[in-house]
Amino acid sequence: MTSKQPPRIATWMLKHFGCGPNNDAVLGDLAEQYREKNSALWYWRQAMEAIPVSLFKEIRAHKPIAARALLIGWVTWILGGTFIFPLAFFRTNVRYGFQSSHPVGSAWSFMWMAVLGPGKVHHSPAYFVLAVALPLIVGAMSGWLVARLHRDQQTSVVLLFAGSILVMDLLLLGPFVLTVGAPVTYLFAGPLAANVAGSILGILLGSGLFRPLRTSSET
Amino acid sequence: MRKGDYLGNFELMLLLALLRLGEDAYGVTIAQELEQQTGREVVVASVYATLERLQERGLVTSSLGEATPERGGRAKRYFRITADGTREVRDARRSLMNLWKGLPELRGENA
Repeated sequence: MTSKQPPRIATWMLKHFGCGPNNDAVLGDLAEQYREKNSALWYWRQAMEAIPVSLFKEIRAHKPIAARALLIGWVTWILGGTFIFPLAFFRTNVRYGFQSSHPVGSAWSFMWMAVLGPGKVHHSPAYFVLAVALPLIVGAMSGWLVARLHRDQQTSVVLLFAGSILVMDLLLLGPFVLTVGAPVTYLFAGPLAANVAGSILGILLGSGLFRPLRTSSET
Repeated sequence: MRKGDYLGNFELMLLLALLRLGEDAYGVTIAQELEQQTGREVVVASVYATLERLQERGLVTSSLGEATPERGGRAKRYFRITADGTREVRDARRSLMNLWKGLPELRGENA
């Protein structure tokens, strides 16, 4: 019977990241079909396509809610980044300044301060931990608030917010790479990737998307 | 005619599948019916996303069925076409047939 059990990781991902009222039915249908097809590749393809399909369907169906969730998430993220990060660097020689005309850029600079700060920052393990822990905390705060205020569309709005942070990181990372050049980029690549991953992981953890879920028969 | 009144290709196929399946229309049987008739693999989540949209337009209704062990204890969701849905299918067929008629490029093919 073991071979009739669908791939666990794919099931876990769809269970936690699939959106909409019919996600449980989709999981059930895939489990039922998997017993006939017995193809892990088919199951993975179906599960991985189900996540964006259900996500976009939910966002399209609830555009004002998605917009509000994005606004709340970004404001919290900017405020969190602006206040928590300078506190973490209190008594250090790292200079910072919040520019109200560029709130996203300012908060983003704070987020990456531990990675890109002056001196021998990138050689210190403590700073590397900060570079991951601080975006994780700020991400968790904003993810928690977004999820709390949008319980009915929790999964879709949290994924949308996490996706927007990831896109912002990549868009700002591009010019940075072009400015500093390849050798410096290689030097910072690990901490930067960890920093971005910390943000995304924080949002997902704070929102509670990783919490164990019940199936329809258990509720 | 208002924008959004026309049925999309996949929407029309789904409504026809519901008509063919009758009482036994749920995700698995709908996907299998479409795969058999079209020869293409169907993404189950797309079936649900489209059916939800049709439900919002009042062309389809749904109800929860039984949870079975082979489904990991998850309930089936059954779909049925409404009277409005059947009317939409008829309208779409009439429109397509009218457009089909007299096309030299498609002569000899069945609509």
